[in-house]
Amino acid sequence: MQQIAETHHTGLIGSQPVPPAAIDEAKKLRREPGFPTAWLITLPTAWLILFLVLPLLGIIVFSFWSSSGHGMEPALTLENYRAYFEAEGFFDPESDRFLTPSVFLRTLGSTLYFTLVVMALCLLVGYPIAYFLAMQVQSFKWQMALFLLAMVPFWTSYLIRAVAWLPMLGRRGLLNTFLINIGAIDKPTSLLLYSEFGYTMALVQLYVVLCVGPIFFSLAKIDKAILEAARDMGATSFQIFREIIGPLSLPGVAIGMIFIFVMIMGEFATAVVVYGGKTTTTGTVILNYYAIANYPFAAVNALMLMLAMMIGVIVILRVVNIRKEL
Amino acid sequence: MTARKPTDTSKTKRTGMSRRTFMGTTAGAVAAGSVVGGFPSIGHGAETLRTIGLGVSVINEIQGKASQDLGLKVRGQALGYGAMFGKMLNQNDQYEIAEGYFNDMDVFIPAKVWQPIDTQRIRDWDKVTNLAKTGKLTPDSNAGQGDAPFRHLWLDADGNRVDGPSRYISMLPGWHNADSLGYNPEETGRDIESWADLFSEEFKGQVALLNVPQIGTMDAALAIEAMGAYTFKDKGNMTREEIDFLIKFLIERKKEGHFRAFWETFGQSVNLMVSGEVAVQSMWSPAVTAVKAEGVPCIYAFPKEGMRGWHGGLAISAKVTGKQLDAAYEYLNWWLDGWAGAFVARQGYYMSVPENVKKHLEPEEWDYWYMGKPAAKELPDPFDTIIVEKGEVRDGGSYWDRFSNIAVWNSLMDENDYLVKRWTEFLSA
Repeated sequence: MQQIAETHHTGLIGSQPVPPAAIDEAKKLRREPGFPTAWLITLPTAWLILFLVLPLLGIIVFSFWSSSGHGMEPALTLENYRAYFEAEGFFDPESDRFLTPSVFLRTLGSTLYFTLVVMALCLLVGYPIAYFLAMQVQSFKWQMALFLLAMVPFWTSYLIRAVAWLPMLGRRGLLNTFLINIGAIDKPTSLLLYSEFGYTMALVQLYVVLCVGPIFFSLAKIDKAILEAARDMGATSFQIFREIIGPLSLPGVAIGMIFIFVMIMGEFATAVVVYGGKTTTTGTVILNYYAIANYPFAAVNALMLMLAMMIGVIVILRVVNIRKEL
Repeated sequence: MTARKPTDTSKTKRTGMSRRTFMGTTAGAVAAGSVVGGFPSIGHGAETLRTIGLGVSVINEIQGKASQDLGLKVRGQALGYGAMFGKMLNQNDQYEIAEGYFNDMDVFIPAKVWQPIDTQRIRDWDKVTNLAKTGKLTPDSNAGQGDAPFRHLWLDADGNRVDGPSRYISMLPGWHNADSLGYNPEETGRDIESWADLFSEEFKGQVALLNVPQIGTMDAALAIEAMGAYTFKDKGNMTREEIDFLIKFLIERKKEGHFRAFWETFGQSVNLMVSGEVAVQSMWSPAVTAVKAEGVPCIYAFPKEGMRGWHGGLAISAKVTGKQLDAAYEYLNWWLDGWAGAFVARQGYYMSVPENVKKHLEPEEWDYWYMGKPAAKELPDPFDTIIVEKGEVRDGGSYWDRFSNIAVWNSLMDENDYLVKRWTEFLSA
């Protein structure tokens, strides 16, 4: 009883009994003396240094180099950053671009905006799915079966999933045919495909599974006895959700959101396939500059994207302290 | 982070070590093996040539046939445009042959990643038509604006540009074509005879444009000029003011909802037409064939203003020497010999030595693909699928009609960076 009262504020796991110091001591004794552990991580570390850290440093260095029109030349210039941020007419009240940031910043902004919208929609769609799987489906066998079913889209390639929207939303697509048949519209609407609507729908469908998984696992970890106890003590369903289920599933939500955030910020293919290329994301900007061999400028865009992503992840982690919650 | 967790159990420690050591050794051996495999097998009789390019010329059947005919091992790698460009420019030790495009020469000639090709080692050099040599396929041809091959062909022995004909060239002229608009006559309800129709009010919401800034702007410029809205001094090398005008025009159209989509790949352009999403779009010739193969009517327009040309060819990496260089020249000579030209002809592309191609095509094929005559019988594509019905006529007339009136060639403009920036603004508008 006492314990449950505490969980109202600190979360169930936070108030679990601390393991006795003796167990800690035993763990320490069991730990290998240095070498084998270090040896184990040599390969991953070397891998990360070679294929992540060094290329990343490369990108940082290249962003200060100058573009020669056919590749890049070592230099130490801020020119690429100036070109990234420079907005003609920004301070000129007469100009029609008054207070309009550079196209690259605006692109980054719209990429971020779209990402946030899709994240919110994914949560709206994904949470109930995860909730249903974890809370309503009683048998473990069925939980797993349905969870795997939710993963089915992931069995095909990403691009096929994106392309599959075309016969669905197109002018002669399933949805248009249906709407015409029931008499809702008299000629096919173009609003479904190659539109913001279609783009958002496709992104949600493509990425929602990424949050269903983590949320499902954190919900499934909740001890059903606690919920029963809460109910016994007269808590309403809403109270149970707000006080117990919600807070306990936050780590799953945060991890799912981080997945989706990182994936969609770097997105470029869906915009081409489902939005008909009618928008740009920072990903497409990077590709465009890569294609004309202006690597330094592509590097600046990549760094700015990474910076935005790091800030985003930090913000999510600030909202939910995953390490503590887990 | 994971490393800080206690390692598994001490029980498996000893045996685990040896297993890991074993795995490490194996991994090392595998890695070493793949590195060795990456080098051409010199001293085994057959030289290996690695060639990279687009799917237009790098096709298993072509390099396979070359290997067979030449007793070489020609390994092709087909890449997307950006990847191809990057690899050609930055990793010229990773290929011997670059199947590149003349519109990129402003980058590749100064970069000196390719070596000048000695025309004296090209057997059929005399038979290569004047299209690539002077820009005039026929004496009264219009050479066209932009990066026409003859403007980027001639080099000195050191790889520097020279004006007129010389012994050395940057790239051996190969396959080429002229692009224009494709349209579905059932959707448009009429014939399209001018680039101006790309911006016709009547097709609003049913138009697609190629989303490659360098080429998309040129199609748009051709259309704007045809409408009489603006005259560009050189569509192949626009000034900032011209680019500004063009982008402003495009943004206005985009906001009006004129464009249905922007396509980037061949497949996308086919899909847009087949699914009935667009009525008119900038299009590549084989895509029109592909749309028709799906049973959807599609015509390749032959605009009166002329078409937009492009020209590919074969270059040799600067790193290639000795016996491999001999092999590289053999491969180049083989391309001009006609078999490969006939292969790409069945996809609608032309080759720089038509008379050799003729030897490898059936007379009916030659008449259809090069002469622009009605097909005397059903004709196959290179993979033996019938794609041309009897009596069908290729849009755009004969090879000589088509290439004597090129309005502009695919180009890399001096203001390319600015163009890409403004194009980004257009797409995000």
